[in-house]
Amino acid sequence: MWVAALLLVTLLGTGLVFLSPDRYAGKLAAAVSAVPALGSIYMYWVYLTQYGGTGNALLSPADIAFGQQIPWITLGELEVSYYVGLDGISMPLLALTTVLTTLAIVSAWTPIDERQSQFYGLMLFMEVSLIGVFSALDFFLWFVFWEGVLIPMYLLIGVWGGPRRKYAAIKFFVYTNVASLIMFAGLFALVFSTDLTSLSLPAMAEAFRTASGLPTIAGVNLMTISFILMFFGFAVKVPVFPLHTWLPDAHVEAPTPVSVMLAGVLLKMGTYALLRFNFTMLADTARQLAVPLAIIGVVSVIYGAMLALAQRDLKRIVAYSSISSMGYVILGLVAFTPYGMGGATFQMIAHGLISGLMFMAVGVIYNTTHTRMVGDMSGLADRMPWTVGIFVAAAFGYMGLPLMAGFAGEYFIFQGSFNAPTLGGAAPVLTSLAMFGIVIVAGYLLWAMQRTLFGGFNLETDYEVSPAAFHDVAPLAVLLLLVIALGVAPDLSFAMIQDSISPVLEIGGGA
Amino acid sequence: MAAFTYAPAIVLLPFVSFLVALFAGDRMPKGGALAGITATGGSLLLSIWVALTVAGGAVHNEILYQWTTSVETLQLNFGLLLDPLSALMLLIVCLISFLVHIFSLGYMNDEGETGLPRYYGGLGLFTASMLGFVVANNLLMAFMFFELVGLCSYLLIGFWFRQDGPPSAAKKAFLVTRFGDYFFLIGVVGIFATFGTGLFAPITQGGEVVAESFPMLAEHAIVDGEVEGIAMLETVGMGPQAWFTVLGLLVLGGVVGKSAQFPLHTWLPDAMEGPTPVSALIHAATMVAAGVYLVARMYGFYALSPTALAVIALIGGFTALFAATMGLVKQEIKQVLAYSTISQYGYMMLALGSGGYVAAVFHLTTHAVFKALLFLGAGSVIIAMHHNENMWDMGGLKDRMPVTYWTFLAGSLALAGIVPFAGFWSKDEVLYEALIHGFGTEGGLGTVYLAAYAMGLLAVFFTGFYTFRMVYLTFHGDARSDTARDPEPVRWNVKGPLTVLGILATTIGFINMAPVAKLTGAHIDFLHTWLSGPEEGGWPELLSTDLHHYEELLHEVPHVDPAYPLGGEITTLLASAAVSLGLALAGVLVARSLYAGADPVEHTDKLGGLKTLLMHNYYQDEYQVWLATGVTYPLARVMNKFDQGVVDGVVNGISSVSLFGGSRIRRIQSGVVSNYATLLTLGLVLLLAAFGIMGGWF
Repeated sequence: MWVAALLLVTLLGTGLVFLSPDRYAGKLAAAVSAVPALGSIYMYWVYLTQYGGTGNALLSPADIAFGQQIPWITLGELEVSYYVGLDGISMPLLALTTVLTTLAIVSAWTPIDERQSQFYGLMLFMEVSLIGVFSALDFFLWFVFWEGVLIPMYLLIGVWGGPRRKYAAIKFFVYTNVASLIMFAGLFALVFSTDLTSLSLPAMAEAFRTASGLPTIAGVNLMTISFILMFFGFAVKVPVFPLHTWLPDAHVEAPTPVSVMLAGVLLKMGTYALLRFNFTMLADTARQLAVPLAIIGVVSVIYGAMLALAQRDLKRIVAYSSISSMGYVILGLVAFTPYGMGGATFQMIAHGLISGLMFMAVGVIYNTTHTRMVGDMSGLADRMPWTVGIFVAAAFGYMGLPLMAGFAGEYFIFQGSFNAPTLGGAAPVLTSLAMFGIVIVAGYLLWAMQRTLFGGFNLETDYEVSPAAFHDVAPLAVLLLLVIALGVAPDLSFAMIQDSISPVLEIGGGA
Repeated sequence: MAAFTYAPAIVLLPFVSFLVALFAGDRMPKGGALAGITATGGSLLLSIWVALTVAGGAVHNEILYQWTTSVETLQLNFGLLLDPLSALMLLIVCLISFLVHIFSLGYMNDEGETGLPRYYGGLGLFTASMLGFVVANNLLMAFMFFELVGLCSYLLIGFWFRQDGPPSAAKKAFLVTRFGDYFFLIGVVGIFATFGTGLFAPITQGGEVVAESFPMLAEHAIVDGEVEGIAMLETVGMGPQAWFTVLGLLVLGGVVGKSAQFPLHTWLPDAMEGPTPVSALIHAATMVAAGVYLVARMYGFYALSPTALAVIALIGGFTALFAATMGLVKQEIKQVLAYSTISQYGYMMLALGSGGYVAAVFHLTTHAVFKALLFLGAGSVIIAMHHNENMWDMGGLKDRMPVTYWTFLAGSLALAGIVPFAGFWSKDEVLYEALIHGFGTEGGLGTVYLAAYAMGLLAVFFTGFYTFRMVYLTFHGDARSDTARDPEPVRWNVKGPLTVLGILATTIGFINMAPVAKLTGAHIDFLHTWLSGPEEGGWPELLSTDLHHYEELLHEVPHVDPAYPLGGEITTLLASAAVSLGLALAGVLVARSLYAGADPVEHTDKLGGLKTLLMHNYYQDEYQVWLATGVTYPLARVMNKFDQGVVDGVVNGISSVSLFGGSRIRRIQSGVVSNYATLLTLGLVLLLAAFGIMGGWF
């Protein structure tokens, strides 16, 4: 009931905001989005205090929290139902989504000055889809939400974006749509090769896990082929090298609040789906392919970080560094250890908060200076001290400063992958290579901060620079507090994540 | 123990002062300074209480807060380890921080600086982080606070962010130490993965060990051959000795970065861009000591690896000499002190590497006092000189600022190692330990010790020279500028801390007059007793972090033993002391003959090409900057081109092919019905033909 309530309230709110006059759309959208945000915080609290020790939604459906299943349609042999519910993996992601949406909406008040009702309506519609993605437990339903995210995102970039918005929006759309198609093909090859009667995710997990006698194509088991196709499909969303080139363009052109959602939540759809499908349903295959997958992760870490080093646009810097941070998630997932997989999931939350914070901070600077280019401005600390203070804190969070969430996530991943059985003798080497990311990230962020925030004040554009408004800085402060809270007490999320990760580790141990 | 119950407050008080100063400093008198003074004063009192309790024989090693509990096989915690070593370090950090806060009233408030809440907030956060590092009972917690002090260092070096120099220096400091911390982090992860714990000392309850420490597990593995429960060995395909050495050297990366040892020392001289009290606190007495302290903290682990010990001794000896030579030609007073700091930490590393655990801790203590004194003295001079730091513009300040002069002189005598000032006793012990272990240890390790000893000894001469070159140029002779003729007076808040530290710099060496103790047989080597504990039972049995345990390990595993090349112990001791004192005096005298006149001139030109080399610090900065901007950045640019051109190029290529194809196929959609009908018919025919061929109709 709770999930349905979240979806319905947000959907009704979407309609309301679409119909409202532009002048009130922002405030109304914030108020509307506060409902699912508060609701999911309450659910989070209930989960934290009452659902201790629940299992994985896919592997032990009896333990699903806030579950609800209503039969819907039958497609041939396959039953489709409205089936939603949460576990320790999806609960934090749901909370991240709803909280970040509210903050992103507030951060849009200043920069979005045309077609507000449509903008905020689309933001809320995206939130509906995202809530659905993280709570749906039926593939059909899930896929509807999964694709449903694309439409508002496409429009948000294409209508409110920067000068090359059309190119970026189409690139984003085509890229992710082709990826969905490939993923869909991979998954349905398996669905039709097993005797599934239902498209619910737990049923799929059970069927794929116990599947035997699958056909081979050119000597390769269908399971492996499907795994690779699905990995490819989801990896585009993450994104990993070399499927990442849509991301910097999308980020640079997207308005800041949309970037916040893109980096903060949309990228996590990719890793969430990888965890649910590839690493839970096809865990055996994932273990077998661990080393090449880990290499993809490590290359993404270093490659993304090196590219961030070469950028001048603050948004591009953060965009490329997202590729780097998400590479850690891949490394953690393939480790198949409590800290590795749990850390990867934790890192999704941590990076969601920190990248959202970074993009918002860049946005506040851009709203005032109308430039994002390192070299076009310097000494901003003199004019907007609180914004810069939070920017510095956020940047250090990104660099993995201890007692902030990013450090916890990265440390867990390193600890989990350093002696991962799936990686064998390559484990310490690959982990050490990935760790070098923490040096490069410090390089580009410190360099960018020195050039833009410090030194004598100078600005290439003619805009007046004054301290940002309260409603611009407040979302930053909230996010910063969350980042610190999770860094000091990671068990706020990590404990429930572990509860739901450990069943995944127990299955298919024979790598 | 009541003192241990309140011990967490030692860390928390300065943290509270950070919050108070940052958020309410604007509305408080003195911009938050009073909060900091109260907090560090409170921490100091509590530390004294803790030290007294430890002196009574009690120790404490408890988990305080569980960071993660959800993975049962490996829980990550925060805990307190209070033993003689950490109790001593608490005293040092709290005392220096307290005095620096007071001094800052004169250096920052009286000079009308803005941004004081940020300044005092930074000092408070730094003090809290540093104290957290000191009391950490496991390696992960130590690493976390190690990073946090790095953040505070960054913030405080860059305090004057409106200028160009400080932000750049701050960036460099963080980046260079981060490079070292990269290796440290691998070491931390590796140690947790290998031993399943990062505890420095075992946790016991009622005499039973409930959680073993990693140095003890390593010891069992190497000494007793118990490798059960030690993971990773199979993964990396190494024996315990080799793998533990690798882990130890990885952790050492962080040590070399933070304690500014060669080749990661380059950030420290730049860090002098920060306010001088910050240099005294962070970049002389405490944060830079964190690296050395860490080696001492896990000495039971390093004592198991001859290779690691050799590397530590060699880095230390080399850095001591290398940095001292660069200090010879510097013109700015803080630069001389910066290179001197690097050099002195080299001595501590030399001592740790060559089995002189007490000597290292002793030198850490005396150095913290006299180097903080010298930096604060330099700060007083800088106030007087209206922030001109060039010694060639000074001269003759002796009569105009007597308190600063006499205390500075005490600090200089201590730094130069002149008897009976503090530095003499500790530096002498460092060199003595390296000497006797060099002769007593067989094989390559002994040779390394002797080489490191020789470098350390040579550095003594240079130390005496650069120290007194600085004293003569600053305080003696005629004033060489108008400001030096009429310096700005300083107040009690500057003179007070100087006096306290001046007295300490003169006397603190008396806590461990080992040579006198040996000669007279009197038990006055208190630090020695402090770190070794009772002979039987007591805290050493609980924690195994005592001197006797380390000496046994050194004897058993790397076979580090003493030998006395010049007859007996006493003769060697006296000869060693005489040589180092003689060299120090020689250095002082050469400085006197060159710079003591009324109107000294630069003699550096006589050095010829060497001068250029020294002035450019052996081109260490140049090659590191080249690595960053000449190698890494261009590489990033090339990769960016590759990304734009090749990776994205392929994507755009595919899309243009489909766009092109699309535009061609679009022509079919002509809108003319007869064309559609033609195509339809054609398609039907083709399909029929295809089916026919496949179905075998023909």
